[in-house]
Amino acid sequence: MVRNEHSPYLENIAAYAVGALDAEEIAALESHLQTCASCRTELAEYRLLSESMLTAVPPRQPSVALRNRIQSRLPGARKDARPRWNWSPGFTAGALAFVVLLALNVYSVSQMRALQLQQTQLARQYQSGQTVLAMLSYPATERLPIASESLAGSFLLDKDRNLAALIVWKMPQLPEDQTYQIWLIAPQGDRTSAGIFRPEDGQAYTTQIIFPKQGFSNYVGIGVTVEPAGGSDQPTGERVLKVDF
Amino acid sequence: MDHSDDIDLVGRVAKGDERAFLALYDRHVSRVYGLTLHILGEPMLAEEATQDTFLKLWSRARQYLAERGPFLSWLLTIARRVAIDRVRLESRRPVLTDANDPEDVWQNTPDLGTVSEETRWRSLHFAVQSLHPDQRRVIELAYYQGMSQSQIAEVLGWPLGTVKTRLRAAMENLREVWNEK
Ligand SMILES: [Zn+2]
Repeated sequence: MVRNEHSPYLENIAAYAVGALDAEEIAALESHLQTCASCRTELAEYRLLSESMLTAVPPRQPSVALRNRIQSRLPGARKDARPRWNWSPGFTAGALAFVVLLALNVYSVSQMRALQLQQTQLARQYQSGQTVLAMLSYPATERLPIASESLAGSFLLDKDRNLAALIVWKMPQLPEDQTYQIWLIAPQGDRTSAGIFRPEDGQAYTTQIIFPKQGFSNYVGIGVTVEPAGGSDQPTGERVLKVDF
Repeated sequence: MDHSDDIDLVGRVAKGDERAFLALYDRHVSRVYGLTLHILGEPMLAEEATQDTFLKLWSRARQYLAERGPFLSWLLTIARRVAIDRVRLESRRPVLTDANDPEDVWQNTPDLGTVSEETRWRSLHFAVQSLHPDQRRVIELAYYQGMSQSQIAEVLGWPLGTVKTRLRAAMENLREVWNEK
């Protein structure tokens, strides 16, 4: 390094970038930086390095309880921050509606306690509208009608990616102590829970995203029943809809 | 990891959207907790610092400016400050060994982002680990314990000039690794 007017300052720039200078040195360096572009460039590079060092530590998972603890301490949180959809006459229940509703509802996926971490991560990948759109336009996505006397809707199934979306029109609200629960039905009739949900007030559609732990090829259909709040191990209540694959 | 999703989420958090907040938590908590645990060395303290960090995210999301840099860097800068303030508050002796840093934790940790980002993080991590032990001690104390060079000189009983030389050499070494990409 050539000794010149910058030398005493240049020598301090790395330490400054990691916050290790003492107070007098900081004042001197900062006043030099105001007038010296080459030292500012040097600092910018060390700042980037310093920032990267924040991630040079192995990631670790804290206890599961921490999430709830933090959530319970959020002042003034709005539980329902979804935008309301304005239904216009020209707006029909086509693919575009599904895209919008999927995008709006995927946030709820990360909240579903029944889902495993791996599934939550999958959900995050599907947060972008582009990916949801890709799912809908994917040639292998099947759109199955919902078989029920009182309810209408569709079941989108993408077996290749092990992803499905249940979309139901105007699902009736349930009393506080009840919930809807989705079941995956195995060929022998065994039922596996795929999550619980309650319809949102004022929403025309209810959309639920489903990622089974095992592939959809292990199942022949899904059903939805009414269960006590919190869900059940096996279906106990009235079945409100069923879809055969 | 998609940075534009982060920007969208933090914008929602600024408006009080709890779901968006939890999505950011799920994405980044392992990095926040990893950093605070590295700085504080004790799981209980690290969880408290993680909590303080996310509560600050909740109250200050409006202050995040996307043009200044990635959201994760902003969040981890807060986490580092919170944890270092805690170190000072506890006036705990700094952790001079690095017992809680086994390499195998890299194997099954989620949320490492894309492969190329992971490679860069890992290479910098291993660069810090493989610094000359004297250089590494200075980096650990300065960067991860928030000590000034004169405090380090006092703690380690080294001349101040030695501390400065070693810190500068360590940073130059790390910069070389970082620039290789
Ligand atoms: Zn200069």
